[in-house]
Amino acid sequence: MITLSEYFMTILITCMIVNLGLALYGVFFKPNLIKKIIALTILGDTANTFALIIGYRMWVAGVPSRPPVFTEWRSNNPLLLFVFTKTAVDPLPQALVLTAIVIGLAVTLFLVFLTLQAWKIYRSVDMRDIRRLKG
Amino acid sequence: MSYGEAFLLGITALAAIFSTIATYMAIMERDLLKAVIFSAIQSTIYAFIYYMLMAPDIDLVYIPVAVGLYPAVIIALIKKTTREEKP
Repeated sequence: MITLSEYFMTILITCMIVNLGLALYGVFFKPNLIKKIIALTILGDTANTFALIIGYRMWVAGVPSRPPVFTEWRSNNPLLLFVFTKTAVDPLPQALVLTAIVIGLAVTLFLVFLTLQAWKIYRSVDMRDIRRLKG
Repeated sequence: MSYGEAFLLGITALAAIFSTIATYMAIMERDLLKAVIFSAIQSTIYAFIYYMLMAPDIDLVYIPVAVGLYPAVIIALIKKTTREEKP
């Protein structure tokens, strides 16, 4: 018996898989370089979303899951730490995603300047024209 | 089973469906400026999904980068090059 939460989670993951397929289609089959860059940003964001979905924790016995930010560190009550570790989502994928977003920004800027250079040399950002003009 | 979680995940699933529509429009659009705007809409919906997946600290980085910087840089590139995509 599938619960309502698992049903909605399945819809979320299915939509992300469709987004991944659409972005891959854009990267591989669209001839325009700017459209390729747009599809690559969508591809990176979707991969990041998969990492966050892996780290997500379902609610245990009706207790809401919470962000992995421990705010009660001033009080020395170990029970608060116990509750935090039982309800917080996994922080490791979030740290990786934080790094991946910044690296994706750097890669996108590099590709933007490559496209600009291709425009300056060939006067076109279409792959079919650039392939024809060798040398 | 808790209905609160089902409610929150239902909103997230609805946002995911809208993000799929925005992605389709961004990939299939011929006008590159409109494609960038659809991509920004998709990024906004992704930011909401990240918030619902209990990652508000990702949002602090993701919103300026994906909604602000990516469209700004790509619009500058479109302004320097060409706006229409050849069929």
